[in-house]
Amino acid sequence: MKRLYAWGGHPYLALPARIYLGLVFLLACYHKLLDPAAFALDIATYQLLPLGLINLLAIVLPWIELAAGLMLLLGLRTRVGALLVATMMAMFTVAVTLAVLRGLDMSCGCFASQGAASDPISWFTVLRDLGWLSLSMYVLVFDRDPLGLDRLFARRKPGEAVTHHREHRT
Amino acid sequence: MREMSIFFRRSPARRLTWHAPVLEALVVTALCAVLALLVNALRAEGLPLVQETEYQILVPCPETSGEVETLTGLNLTGAPTETLVLDARSRGAYESWHVPGARNVPYDYLEAVASATLRKLASSGAKRVVVYGDGENPDCGEHLAKELAGKGIRNVGFIVGGAPALTGDLPAGVRP
Repeated sequence: MKRLYAWGGHPYLALPARIYLGLVFLLACYHKLLDPAAFALDIATYQLLPLGLINLLAIVLPWIELAAGLMLLLGLRTRVGALLVATMMAMFTVAVTLAVLRGLDMSCGCFASQGAASDPISWFTVLRDLGWLSLSMYVLVFDRDPLGLDRLFARRKPGEAVTHHREHRT
Repeated sequence: MREMSIFFRRSPARRLTWHAPVLEALVVTALCAVLALLVNALRAEGLPLVQETEYQILVPCPETSGEVETLTGLNLTGAPTETLVLDARSRGAYESWHVPGARNVPYDYLEAVASATLRKLASSGAKRVVVYGDGENPDCGEHLAKELAGKGIRNVGFIVGGAPALTGDLPAGVRP
């Protein structure tokens, strides 16, 4: 396990994964931010949440997606962004799986509203969500913040730079 | 190249600790919630925080659809057994009048055609299936024909105008 974690190829894999996930989440939040009412209807169609929570989730969730997407794309607090994305992906995967098992003939609502019916749910949707969940877990565990604001800020702080330098020598 | 590699160098002091990211994630979530509620309050079309009336959930109807022939009348050529005539209207409408020999397959806009019905049609031996409906807009006959074609029944056609359009083809005194 230690050898796997120490493998030098992780930064090269985690960087594109991080940017890809960031773009996916920015794309996903776009229509939800523009039309929260349609997104609320999307959530209601899953028939999982009590009525009292639907609007609150429809209002707040797109902003969390936006924040997580930007954090991953910019490399700002990357692990926090990856943790948020992983948590959301776990929620989405459970919701879509339950909808597929219940035989609901509906659109995913991930990138467009139900009205568009362009992304009907299926086991492929579950597989896709599991893929994104795995990718976010990978970024969470293995990302080393290359080419990101975290790295930039860390390098500008003289105290931290010295610490890294010393520890690297050892 | 050495300059590039510095970006991908593993941060040596880094250890996988969870409490700090979890705490920061909670803070980000809380900030997002505050921002979202603020923007929602300022929006003209902002959502009420708690929905009081149930959402009208629109689950799309099955849209299995195939290519069908458009017919303007009931022109039954060939042996009677070669053409299967289906009446897509309700049971009541079928019983009040139907084309002699037509089978009733009431079309439901919300339910798919039963697989038993499809099996019966497929095993009927007919070379052609002609469907007529109520002739309204939408026409249940057209929908049934398209669904049958989409589910693998070949040579399906529907009569434009449905049962009301068939009056010219009927014997005198018989009206749909």
